[in-house]
Order: sequence, then structure tokens, then C-alpha cells
Amino acid sequence: MPSLLMPNEGKDHIMIRRPRHKRVLTAAAVTVLATVLSACNSGGGAEKASGPAGDNGTLNWEWDLPTSFDPVTSSAGWDAHVLGLAYSAITALDKNGNAVGGLAKSWKYAPDGKSIAFTLQPNLKFSDGTALDADAVKTNILRGRDTPDSRIASQLAEVTDVTVTSPTEFTIKLSKVDYQVPNLLAGKTGMIVSPTAIKANAAGLATKPVGDGPFTLTNYVPGSHADFVRNPNWFDASDIHLAKLSVKAITDQQQILAALQSGDVNVAYIAGSSVSAAKAAGFTINEVPSQVVTTLDVNTSKAPFSNPLVVQAINYAIDRQALVDTQQFGHGSPSFQPFPKNYTVGYDPSLANLYPHDVNKAKQLLAQAGYPNGLTIPLTTSIATGAVEQLQSQLKEAGITAKINVIPAAQFTNIVYIQKQPGLALDGTAGRESPLQMLEVLYDSKGLMNLSAKIPSNVQTVFDKLRTVPLDSPDYASTLQATVKAAVTSPGSQHIWLYTTPRILATSPKVTGLPFTLITQRFEGVRVAS
Amino acid sequence: MLKKTLRFRSAQISVAILLAVLLLAIFGSALAPQDPLHQSVKDFLQGPSSRHWLGTDYLGRDVLSRLLAGTRTSVTTAAEATLVGLVFGAIPGLLSAFLGTWFDFIANRITDAIMTLPTIVFAIGCTAVLGNSLTPAMLAIGFLSSPLFFRVTRAAALEFVRAQYVESAELFGASRFRIVRVHVLNKVIPTIAVAAAMSASAALLIVSSLTFLGIGVVPPAPTWGGVLASDLSYLNQAPWAPIVPAVLIMLTAGALNALADAIRDASGVHVSLLSAASSKAATEEAAATELTQPGDDADPAFLGANSANPVIDKIDEEAADVNRHSAA
Repeated sequence: MPSLLMPNEGKDHIMIRRPRHKRVLTAAAVTVLATVLSACNSGGGAEKASGPAGDNGTLNWEWDLPTSFDPVTSSAGWDAHVLGLAYSAITALDKNGNAVGGLAKSWKYAPDGKSIAFTLQPNLKFSDGTALDADAVKTNILRGRDTPDSRIASQLAEVTDVTVTSPTEFTIKLSKVDYQVPNLLAGKTGMIVSPTAIKANAAGLATKPVGDGPFTLTNYVPGSHADFVRNPNWFDASDIHLAKLSVKAITDQQQILAALQSGDVNVAYIAGSSVSAAKAAGFTINEVPSQVVTTLDVNTSKAPFSNPLVVQAINYAIDRQALVDTQQFGHGSPSFQPFPKNYTVGYDPSLANLYPHDVNKAKQLLAQAGYPNGLTIPLTTSIATGAVEQLQSQLKEAGITAKINVIPAAQFTNIVYIQKQPGLALDGTAGRESPLQMLEVLYDSKGLMNLSAKIPSNVQTVFDKLRTVPLDSPDYASTLQATVKAAVTSPGSQHIWLYTTPRILATSPKVTGLPFTLITQRFEGVRVAS
Repeated sequence: MLKKTLRFRSAQISVAILLAVLLLAIFGSALAPQDPLHQSVKDFLQGPSSRHWLGTDYLGRDVLSRLLAGTRTSVTTAAEATLVGLVFGAIPGLLSAFLGTWFDFIANRITDAIMTLPTIVFAIGCTAVLGNSLTPAMLAIGFLSSPLFFRVTRAAALEFVRAQYVESAELFGASRFRIVRVHVLNKVIPTIAVAAAMSASAALLIVSSLTFLGIGVVPPAPTWGGVLASDLSYLNQAPWAPIVPAVLIMLTAGALNALADAIRDASGVHVSLLSAASSKAATEEAAATELTQPGDDADPAFLGANSANPVIDKIDEEAADVNRHSAA
């Protein structure tokens, strides 16, 4: 059983910046209409942090606030960005998405692939002074696996035990071979919380994180902002050149631009439609490649989508470049697979132009499928305007009438992921730390975003094979790409990929050194001039 | 009464505006110079030109055509909501004055219960259960506006229950139905007309705000509120664009309100009747404000300060609330 599946990650529902219903977060409603009335702590750090001279900048980052500051109960994949400020994970991802050292400086798989020995960095400490040792890691992994309301439990289900051999050494034992674990532990699954804080008040972690991250939370106003200061004891503190970092949640594009111009925020996540205005106002536009890809979830268990020819016809009928040009003002690129081009290890170049826009071919396939006069299909969405209207118009040209069914955003998880009602749903993915984890969410029979709840047998075979290939094996990239290809091109494929969405960050010219990280946004090396 | 009403200058202007809107509602689609659904995505968010008099929207559709074609949906849905409110409110209101204490008691309690329901949340619930289209949303809105009609009609009718001519008709053996039809109905109608005009203007604004929230109208069908909502998302590209749909909505709602005022003045309907209805709404609003958490203040932009219409105020406040949730 593929145990890395996760009905846990909350919803995968796209959190792309859009002109209007930009972000659709989880049900745990973060109230975000909040104006930044109280946000007046701009300007350089008056109180000097204990960092090196010159490192006294304050970064005000416009971004969503998390559903919870407890990595075990946080219900949105998107939360990892902000949680990564307060916590460090056992491993980390480099800018290409490969697992590198985090709290653990190294690890080694046993020859049978069923246990992994980790070595922690020496002298790690949580922000509350508690030592971050192998026992603390054990407590956290078992808590993630066993806590009743854990959202990461299924990712840790295959962990049979954690044995501690010394304060800096521990071994994770698995019930089966799985070489994806180091990637998995780079996300919320591997974030380590102070055992003292867990013991004292685990529920309080939702608003008061105690970890060993690059920053420490000092003030949190849910729905408005979260203030952090530099953590001088963090193991990589020499890479952090900011005295303070504040996360401010604003959603309206006009308000975000106003906040940029007033200096209220100096880094903001903006929609493609705001790029020209931000540029004109003198802000730097950073197009960070991300793993956000928009897709149509196809329920291949339902007619007419059970007919692969119909799904192929839809694929050919869609003009992806036009969607990118209009919906994202040209930012991003057409996509035919779950990974963006920048994720070199997983991106299969042979799929680069899998379904070129070809209306005649679409009509021909429909005729072959037994619909010479076109057909009517349902199209479910929680974002009523924009992409869905354009898709409808494109499909019409091929003789496909799409009937749009708008569902409330708050019910998306329930209707689409849990009940799997729709035949076709506009959706998107934010990426996962482990590529196999991502593929399973999308294509496995228990995958959150697989509406058909079925997996073609050839795809299951390649998934099982990928799990047993070590990440450092020379065959890993080719095996992963073959897996992607099998999943994407299998006749019963459950996704129609549309386009990638870059993380567009508008920054004040005073902000320099923003790292381009594929999955979560990091701040190592960032400086703010005073 | 109609003649009397039309003597007012405000009524003349209002009727002229409403007739124009009615014409647009009937012939709007035919008048539209282009297909309101046709996308030419290469020319999206263009300014006014000889080809597109009011420019194009975010998918390159002709805005003028969308506004013209959207008139019918906007107007008929507002009418639909008013009609539902009228049927569920005015008829029981009239009957409750004449059908004895038990009917009166039960009808009043049901009305009280309906008044506790939050309009927009209820509308969202209805669309979730009955499917997202305008009719369920409008049924919900109309149903929730029925207490206004119920109370206004009941209060107006109560005045006549013990009127001497009603009592004498009763003594002559006239049936209740005949009494209501002959002696009461035409006296109550001016009051109901005022309430209906008020309710229609409120419904027009609710339709707009629902479209704003993506409820009710299924895309790509155009409505005034929908055009306005999408325009507000692209202020960088077309800062002037929201003005036209906003003016259309304001003119129609304003004309309905002015007409309601004129009807009231012309018919000499007891002012206290209407203020009874709106003071009830004001109490309701106060209750809603109490429920609002401290620090959970709605966006001031949504709260028309000192608006003359507390019903609309309350609705707007809910819209702000819902907006916040959908943004979350």
C-alpha cells in the first residue's frame, strides 16, 4: 500500500495569485481582508539584533499566514513557506528540489533500504533553550505518526520505529524499502518542535511555534501579520542578514500595490496582472520558478471521461499558450506534466509539446470516440471567472460544450477531493517535497487529486519501482522521468495539465539576494539596505 | 394614485429611468452590437474605441454588449426576488389580520424565525443545495425579504379590521374573502407598492453583490454586478472601467427608491407603517453588529455609512463578511 499518500495535506487547491479570488486556502478560515492598519513598523531595525554589523534590515513580506504554526496540525501545504521561518526540518531542499542537509548533516540508508541512519549537526538548540537532540527528533516523528489530529500521519505510516544511538545519531526504521524519505523530511513532515513546548502545551503551538528556524516568532496577529526576529543560534545563522522579518497577509491586488508603494511591505507575492504596474512603480520583479501547476482533474471513472479518446480530444482542444497569455499576462508556460521545466530531475523533456493545440485533431478524436456532433461535459470550479470561461470558449471551438458548475471555495475539498463528485474539475498543485509523493497525490488510487480513485496497473508498477531507487543512484532521474511519462500518457490518465505559475515576487530595490527556491521560499542571503 | 404619484418631478424622472431600463431588459440582447460571449483574447482589457465603445473585458469581450445583454438577467432576478417576497410576505400578512389569533401568532413566529437568518449566507447555502444558479439564490433572497412584506401588510391591514364599514360588511354577511378583496386590499396596495419598490432596489443590489461573490450567475453569462466585479480586479489596466456598470446600478436603485418615496407621499400612507418596518430592520442590524466580534470590523468601504436604507446596510455588511471568508 502506498503509505506516503496524504489526504492530510489539506487541500491542494491552487493558491495562485489571481486578480480576484487569488488564493483559496483551507477551511480553517484565515481572515485576510485585513487592511494593514496596524502595520507601522517599517524602516530599518531600531533595535539591533545580535547579527553581524550591517545585518539590521527589516523584511516585510506580503504572503498568506499559516492555518496553524504547528507542523503536525497545519492543514495547508502552502503553510510550509511560513513554517519554514520558525522551524528547521531534518533535511532541506536545494534550489533544484534535491534533499540536502538540514538539522541532520548526513544520512545513510542500510543496504536493504529499510532503515536510515541520520547524524544531526552538533549543539542544536530550540528557541526556548531546550537541546535539539536525537531524542527530540524521535519525539517529533512519533508525534507526527501517532497524534490523532496529525495531518502528516500517513506520510509517516511506514515508520516502524526510531532508535536513538547517541545525542546526535538516530535511525528511522521503515516497514518497506523507500528511498524518498529524505525528501519527505524536508517539509512539514520533518520539522522539529521543542519537546518541552509539546509537553507544556501542544495546542498552543498553533499560535506559538517553538523550533530552531532561521527566525523566532515574537508577535502574531492571526489574519493580519506575524513578526519574526533573527535567531542568532540557528545553525546557519551566518546566512541570515535580516534583523527582522514580518509576514503580512493582504489579498487584494490593489492593496498589495499600495502597500508596496507606501513601504509597508518590501516583498510581495503578486498576480501576473499586477506586474506591469509594480514595474512601473519601480519595483523589481522576481519570477521564481515554482512547482505550482494548473490542471484539470479528470474523473476517468465517469462517462464520457472513461473514454481515453475524449480526454485526448480535450487535451488537443486547449490552447495553453492563450491561457497563459490571458490568465497570467504571459507569466508561466504551457505544461503537459506535473513538474515544471526547472525541476530537472523530474521534468521529462519528451513531453514538452505532448498535445499541441489542434482543433481538427480534437474533432477527429471525438468522432472516433463516437461523438461526431460534439458532446456536453461538466466543468467544476470554485473560481467562477477567468480560466474556466476561457477553457469553455476553447472547448466550444472543438464542438465540446462545457457546462460550468461553480461550487463554493469552502466546499472544494469536500466535493472534489473527498466525495470525488465532479467529472472534470479545474484544480492545481503547489508541489511536494518528494516527487513520488506528488505523483501519488495525483495518480494513485488513494491520491487526494485522483478523482477516479483508480490507478492503471502499469502506473502502479512504475511507482513501486521508483520507491526502491536510491536518490543518489545514476538511474534515479531517468526512472523518475519514466514514471512521470507513464503516469501522464497512460490511457486512463487522470489529469489534463494546463500551465505552470511562477512565484512572482515584487521587491523594493533595497531588497537584494532573494534566493530562487523551487518549493518553499527561503531568505538565506537576503539583505535589505537601510 | 398613479396620477398623483406622477405629479412629483422625482417620480417622473424615476419612471423615465425605469422605462429605459425596462427597454434595455427587453431589447438589450438585440441592441448589443456584438456577441457578449465572444472572446477575442488577443484584445483583452482594451480602452474605448470605435469598435468597442466601452472597451473590452479581461477575456476581450465587448463591455457595452455585456452590459446591454446583462440588463435582463439583472432586472428579472431582482423582480423575481421581489415577487417571491411579495407572495410569501404580503399574502400571509393580509390573512393574519383576518384569520384569527392562532394564524396570526404562528405566522408572526415563523416571520421572526426567518428574520434571524443571515441573507447572504442563506443564499450561499441554498445555491449549494439546489445548485448554483440564479433562481435558487433569488428564491432565498426573496424568501428572506418576505418578513418586510409580512409586517408592512399586516400593520396596514390591522388598521381596517375594526373599521366600521368592515364591521358592517361582516354584519351583512359578507365572507372574509369578499371583505379583504373589496374593502381592504385596495387600501393596503399603496403600502405594499412602497415596500416592493424598496425591496426591488435592495434586490438589485443583492444580485450585484452575489454576482460579485460568484454566486447565482453561472459564467460566462453577463450581469451588471458581474461586469463591475471583474472590472475592479483590473484597475491597473483599466482604471475607468468600473464607472459604467456602477452608474447603471446606482441609477436603477436610486430611481426605485425615489419612486417609492413618491408613492408614499402621493398615497398619504401613514409614515409610521413604513418606519415600523424599517425600525425592525434597524433592530436586526443592531443585533448583527453585536454579534460581530471586536476587531472583526468589516471593511468600511462596504458599510455605507448613514445609508437611508438599513436593510441594504445589513446586506452589505454580510457581503463584507462573506467576502472575507471567500478570500480566506
